[in-house]
Amino acid sequence: MADQHYLDNEEKSVVIVMTSGPSTPHRCATPFYIGSILASMDSDVHIFFTMEGVMLAKRGVAENLSAMKGGKTILEFIRDAKAAGVKLHLCKPAMPGYELDVSDIIAEIDEVSNAGALADLILSSDKSMYF
Amino acid sequence: MECNGCEFRPELYYDDQYQIWARREEDGSLTVGMTDISQTVAGKILHVRVRRPGTLRPVGKPVATIESGKWAGPVPNVFDCVIEAANHSVLEDPNLLNIEPYEAWIARVRPSGTVEQALSVMLTGDAAQAGYCERTRREDLHCERGAR
Repeated sequence: MADQHYLDNEEKSVVIVMTSGPSTPHRCATPFYIGSILASMDSDVHIFFTMEGVMLAKRGVAENLSAMKGGKTILEFIRDAKAAGVKLHLCKPAMPGYELDVSDIIAEIDEVSNAGALADLILSSDKSMYF
Repeated sequence: MECNGCEFRPELYYDDQYQIWARREEDGSLTVGMTDISQTVAGKILHVRVRRPGTLRPVGKPVATIESGKWAGPVPNVFDCVIEAANHSVLEDPNLLNIEPYEAWIARVRPSGTVEQALSVMLTGDAAQAGYCERTRREDLHCERGAR
């Protein structure tokens, strides 16, 4: 049997920096999908919404957005990632530029974090990915 | 028996979200698979990867990873165990999970404690059926088993 079917990776930490948002919906599902896989492979996964990515955390946006016509909504991908154990951060310094207030964000967000938190995640993680 | 077309087998044990089933084997191991609800939510399953036999899996650490076209995530684990075997038929042809979710088992595991301790955290019989049907109603799930 092909050895590739077995999972035997060591635990790792991964930060996914999510800068894509509603203007590029086709870029908005995969980061949560790969985050779900990584988390289910025992990785400690953090997705950090910044730049236009913060708009995905605004109530009413991700639930009405799909990466492909008729496809699953981005909010469903976000919830799958959460269910797999991914932690979600929202970039506080990016919020004013998109007129996003803490009272407007979806319940799935774990933390509203400053830029220093992102810097710490990037420096301390084994891998970082950018979308 | 069925709920919204989702097959339920009363002789099996289930986690409280009805994602996985477990079956007691005569040699003291447990066989683990996906429920009809799980395979329906996942859609056509394209890839399954199981932890290598001999690997310790504490509570919360997945037994396997599933990928479909629209869903990716873990096959969860609700008791401490060691992986004993993977179902090679499913690894080679993951679509079997869609076609026959209660026959196409994923892994055989050996609980770290007794089988009774492991199964004590799972649901079975009438209680399991009530919860299983309640989830199909709550989420308006209608199961479909895949065909080749």
